[in-house]
Amino acid sequence: MQEPTFLILTALAAGAQHGYGIMSDVARISDGRVRLRAGTLYAALDRLKADGLVTGDKEEIVDGRLRRYYRITDEGTAELAAEVGRLRANAAVAASRLGLAGGTA
Amino acid sequence: MSVAATRGSRMEKWYRRLLALYPKDHRREHAEEMVGVLLAADGDAQARAAKPVAWALRFGQHTADSADLVGGALRIRGRIALNRLKRAHWLSWTVRDQRWSDALAVVSVVAPLLLLVAALTEFRIPRAVASSITGHPHWELTATLGLADLPMAAGAPGVILLVFLRLRRLAGLGALATAIGQVAAGAVPAFAGYADPAVAFTVLLSGTAAVALLLSPGPDRGLALLTRSGTALVGAAALILGGFSVGGDVWFGPGNDGAPTQSDNVGGTVAGLPADLLIAAVLVGVAAACLRAPVSRRVLVLLAIPVIPYAFLWQEKLAVDLFGPPGGGSAIISSSIPLLYLPPLLLASLVLFGTWFARRRAGERDRQVASATA
Repeated sequence: MQEPTFLILTALAAGAQHGYGIMSDVARISDGRVRLRAGTLYAALDRLKADGLVTGDKEEIVDGRLRRYYRITDEGTAELAAEVGRLRANAAVAASRLGLAGGTA
Repeated sequence: MSVAATRGSRMEKWYRRLLALYPKDHRREHAEEMVGVLLAADGDAQARAAKPVAWALRFGQHTADSADLVGGALRIRGRIALNRLKRAHWLSWTVRDQRWSDALAVVSVVAPLLLLVAALTEFRIPRAVASSITGHPHWELTATLGLADLPMAAGAPGVILLVFLRLRRLAGLGALATAIGQVAAGAVPAFAGYADPAVAFTVLLSGTAAVALLLSPGPDRGLALLTRSGTALVGAAALILGGFSVGGDVWFGPGNDGAPTQSDNVGGTVAGLPADLLIAAVLVGVAAACLRAPVSRRVLVLLAIPVIPYAFLWQEKLAVDLFGPPGGGSAIISSSIPLLYLPPLLLASLVLFGTWFARRRAGERDRQVASATA
């Protein structure tokens, strides 16, 4: 899973959010390292919707502008959980090897 | 209107212009919210910026967002195109009529086989093998591979290999390349040229094999349809057609002196008239056997397309056997490009028109039945 996808799913794991909310949340989660822009975000949302990982939620009009919320699906939650498991296992191996390297140096 | 509002409106116009790059469905679904997000992000950047750097920051943000919008449009369009490519069943269109589809499947077995036999005999491989076994001094391998021979030398075994590997579409493309290669080689004046019946035979045979391999369910279906007697008939026809397609001397031996002469290319004096009758008998036998069933009748029609030029070879050999070699006698009908290629193309057009007309009539019948039941 690519990092923007992981971060978008992570942002939506806490609850439904609109586009600008996802962008802000992704920046917050990644500590400002990843700043999604509208083109990238909506291309990713389009793909995630097609894959069934994300779905549209409620819509509202704020200051005359349409605001559509997105939420993670059960499939998306499972996919994110699997990715977290993979990352955690990889991180554990990396940490352990770094520890070994530290110990033998 | 304030300066910020004017600028916001200008930017909105610009973003909407860029959003035109997106597919229509995506625009309908997301354009409004994307504009909202873009303008909100723009406002946020301005709010965060200190005044001296606000302009530079705004310009940077604006440029990056524009580039990102274009990139997003390309990604979405690329994904749609890729999905379409994946969904499209390239080169796997099958002929709708079951009988034509089955006939093409049988031809997808027979035509590559004929092509291989034609290639083997073109390069006199059976004669060289016979020579090595019998020790006949005059039957050594005399043909040398030239540029014009490459399409057949590489194409015919390549197509058979791909058929064996069950790569039907690639085999079809290989057969098509073999046909095109021969046509290209025929354009070189130094080579045999299109007016040679043997060239016409192998060009049309490669083309027929390509069509059969690309448009039919393939050789697996063809083999399932071929009975044992059908396979024997095909084998006999392949040997006769392939063997004689490049000159009567291949199967029937050269003249008495063994040296390849002009007369050897058009007819073997060893076999003479009996060979003509044998060839005719095999062809008539195969044709008669094919007339029994609707699918084999269609196989006959399809195979007739490449075999028409072969008839010119046969009558040239017959003329030599009856009246002597060219000079003393002459071919009954001299082969020419229109005579060699127009009848097969006419037959192919008739097949195409016939199947189209039959499908149209079937469609009309279905509509009539549907309206009657409604």
